Amino acid sequence: MEHIVFYSLSSVALISALGVVLMRNVLHCALMLGLSLMAVAGLFGSLGADFLFAGQIVVYVTGVAVLVLFVVMLAGRESELNSPQTNDKWPLALVIGAITFGGFWRFFGAYADTYATTDAEPTTRGIGILLLSDYALPFELISLILIAALIGAIHFSRVEESQ
Amino acid sequence: MTLLHYLTVSGILFVIGLFGALTRRNTIGILMSIELMFNAANLNLIAFNRFLYPERLDGNVITLFIIGVAAAEAVVGLALVVTIYRNLNTIYSEDFNLLKG
Repeated sequence: MEHIVFYSLSSVALISALGVVLMRNVLHCALMLGLSLMAVAGLFGSLGADFLFAGQIVVYVTGVAVLVLFVVMLAGRESELNSPQTNDKWPLALVIGAITFGGFWRFFGAYADTYATTDAEPTTRGIGILLLSDYALPFELISLILIAALIGAIHFSRVEESQ
Repeated sequence: MTLLHYLTVSGILFVIGLFGALTRRNTIGILMSIELMFNAANLNLIAFNRFLYPERLDGNVITLFIIGVAAAEAVVGLALVVTIYRNLNTIYSEDFNLLKG
């Protein structure tokens, strides 16, 4: 059962991630991004992180992916469908990706037989306690960053009054 | 399932995002690829938390912070894309050459 869940979720996540990178129509890319983020949320759930499963769906799938869809519709044009969406340096990017993954693989090999020893437990209570004790300062800083991002987004996207 | 399985998935996801960020011409596509890379990092943090330190929750909390920062980044980045589109009438990164001598 665990294997079926893991392999189906990770194949959905990886195939739709490939769709984000390779598809020509940006609207399809944005929909694929939503699917990939949802599959990653499922992987969070299979790792026992129930609060982050919900947080990923709420913030990423219904926040970021929908925002990207809005911008695609605001800034997209029909003529894009006929021009290639990747630049001509893609073989170089492929080499850089392969080298990066090779570096990861050297490091990953050490964890080939690390199994989870305990059952997953509900995490929400522990996360709440940590957020208001050890991580209180970063928690406040995040709220500051969100306010700054809000003001910045309004500042950049407002339309200047014409004289 | 071993830790290696989850690390492999997140490594492949990161490399796909890196490839997209390096090759997409479309600025919105680059932003989407960066979101994929954020997700790979989050998956890594939670997998290490679950397999190596199951009695602690620090990885979960840090992932929560990363989700917050990523949301802020997406909002500002997309606002910039809309502004650039309004001023230059293009969203292709090779056309952003106002500072080119």
